[in-house]
Amino acid sequence: MKGAQAILEFLTEQGVDKVFGYPGGAIMPLYDALLDSPVQHYLCRHEQGAAFAAIGYARSTNRVGVCIATSGPGATNLLTSLADAKLDSVPLVMITGQVARPAMGSDAFQEVDVLGLSLSICKHSMQVMTAEDLVPCLQKAFHIAQEGRPGPVLVDIPKDILTGLVPATPQAVSDYQMPEYSMQDLQAANQLIASSERPVLYIGGGVGMANAVDELRDLIQRTDLPQVCTLKGLGSAESEHPLYLGMLGMHGLAAANLSVQQCDLLIAIGARLDDRVTGKLDEFAPHAKLIHLDIDPAEIHKRRRADVSLLGDLKTILPLLGTDTVNPSWREWVSDLKVSKAFPYAVDNSPGQIDAPQLLRQLSDMSANDAIVSCDVGQHQMWVAQHMRFSQPSCHLSSGGLGTMGFGLPAAIGAQVANPDTQVVAVCGDGSFMMNVQELGTLRRYQMPVKILILDNQRLGMVKQWQELFHEERYSETDLSDNPEFSRLAAAFDIQSDVIQCRSQVGEALRKMLAYPGPYLLHVQLDHKDNVWPIVPPNTANHQMWEQPK
Amino acid sequence: MNYQLEMLLTDQPAVLERVLQTTRYRGFRVDSMQMQPASKQMKVSMLVSGKHPISMLTSQLNKLYDLASLECQAQLVQSGEQQSTQAQPLPKTA
Repeated sequence: MKGAQAILEFLTEQGVDKVFGYPGGAIMPLYDALLDSPVQHYLCRHEQGAAFAAIGYARSTNRVGVCIATSGPGATNLLTSLADAKLDSVPLVMITGQVARPAMGSDAFQEVDVLGLSLSICKHSMQVMTAEDLVPCLQKAFHIAQEGRPGPVLVDIPKDILTGLVPATPQAVSDYQMPEYSMQDLQAANQLIASSERPVLYIGGGVGMANAVDELRDLIQRTDLPQVCTLKGLGSAESEHPLYLGMLGMHGLAAANLSVQQCDLLIAIGARLDDRVTGKLDEFAPHAKLIHLDIDPAEIHKRRRADVSLLGDLKTILPLLGTDTVNPSWREWVSDLKVSKAFPYAVDNSPGQIDAPQLLRQLSDMSANDAIVSCDVGQHQMWVAQHMRFSQPSCHLSSGGLGTMGFGLPAAIGAQVANPDTQVVAVCGDGSFMMNVQELGTLRRYQMPVKILILDNQRLGMVKQWQELFHEERYSETDLSDNPEFSRLAAAFDIQSDVIQCRSQVGEALRKMLAYPGPYLLHVQLDHKDNVWPIVPPNTANHQMWEQPK
Repeated sequence: MNYQLEMLLTDQPAVLERVLQTTRYRGFRVDSMQMQPASKQMKVSMLVSGKHPISMLTSQLNKLYDLASLECQAQLVQSGEQQSTQAQPLPKTA
């Protein structure tokens, strides 16, 4: 069997029936073999789009996403997505073609050292240098992508290995060892919880990735612990719970940040205390002891020393955590704070400028319970996180760690491929949308019913907000008022669209968009003066957030 | 602080680059390095210095798939002292 066929046979054995990619010189033998394979390939219009689609596929299913590109520019175009998957711990296998072995190292046409380029931005990477190594490398890639803390793995394959014969190889066995907490640490954690007066659960993306949502919700039900979420943790806790406080951090909700600043015990679950969450680190949760639960030993004590750490599978640990219900006076303080700081949602049909938070809340109320929302990066991303509700973490796809503009549309495409019967909405900023706008071609090609909502303030909104607040209103290169006419752009791809600019149009426009059977673009024109509130200024403690000016 | 790292690495392409890249990125400087092949593995001894706790580096090195074992020992010489020695002006020649 030829190398290219062996790859596809291996993917089929792994249960991979859908992959994303873009063909080119060195990877052509694999694309030739695809014609005779049951593996379905989705052609995106840029390798970065293909890789983000694979990320959307992986994040919405917790399965490995696979993308394929050629050598040289194909491979370099994947790198941003590779880094995105690394920082957000997404299980991904990227297959890149490489020039044939005899040409390697000669600066051949479309040759780059992708192995060297990949080193710092993936969980692991390999270059297949013998035919015997091809299938074992792929087996290893799939193991590594999924085991422990998930992440992306790149496999670089020279063209002559794709065209040459490869031997049948035995199944490799993973030698991964799950890190293990001790019973002593578990007891110490439960003692800390029992003796604390003001505990808070700080929920990260690890919960969803460990398939431990049910176990987390059970813990909350047993203990009534107040909860805050990171961007990636959204959807893990039930948003209707009276002690669910929403997202914390730089654009966290006031009740979430203030509760964490007041707590005497912080229980971090699959979260990494990153700088966007903690604000000024030495003033973060200043009265709190820390219990840190994670699968990755490198996260423990990395940003803050944990009083107790529990390493291992959250699905196994969470049922053993927590004893009594929480101190009633703390519960009351937290729920009162939640009510007093609640955002005043109201459907307002009066004429006037559209308010993005209100629109997104309305969209959240109108969309299906299991709808998947993918977004880009910037102001709209924070509004989505603050004002939309998600039934599962896999329903919210957002580029958290890397903060990659252009993520939203291709990730939505990948999510729709994986979940063909689910409502998928890409909420995009006007700046971000233009970064992978070519993927409208993918939507057209496969007629996927992805809904695109562009929140257009004709600005690079978040940068503009920082220029306004922290750079003395010196607006440098953030005016995008020469954006294209998005409806005409959609029409060029045979995509239905609508444009709205006043509040009274919102309800009907959202209804029309969600009911439309095919792909649809809703262009929402916003006032560029709107900002995201609250905001914790850089190098400031989270309780010193600035709230919306009256 | 200075630390002596003793590593056993699988002899795979880019394994040395991975170790060096991780060391640099996590805030440490390689002061000396020696390697020696050992069957399908290689032994690497490295003296590193840096201001962060060494666990910042060792916990990340431990995640490398081509690292079979890692031992780390703190050295007595302070990097600050070394730097101050190096910073002394060179003696003038006649």
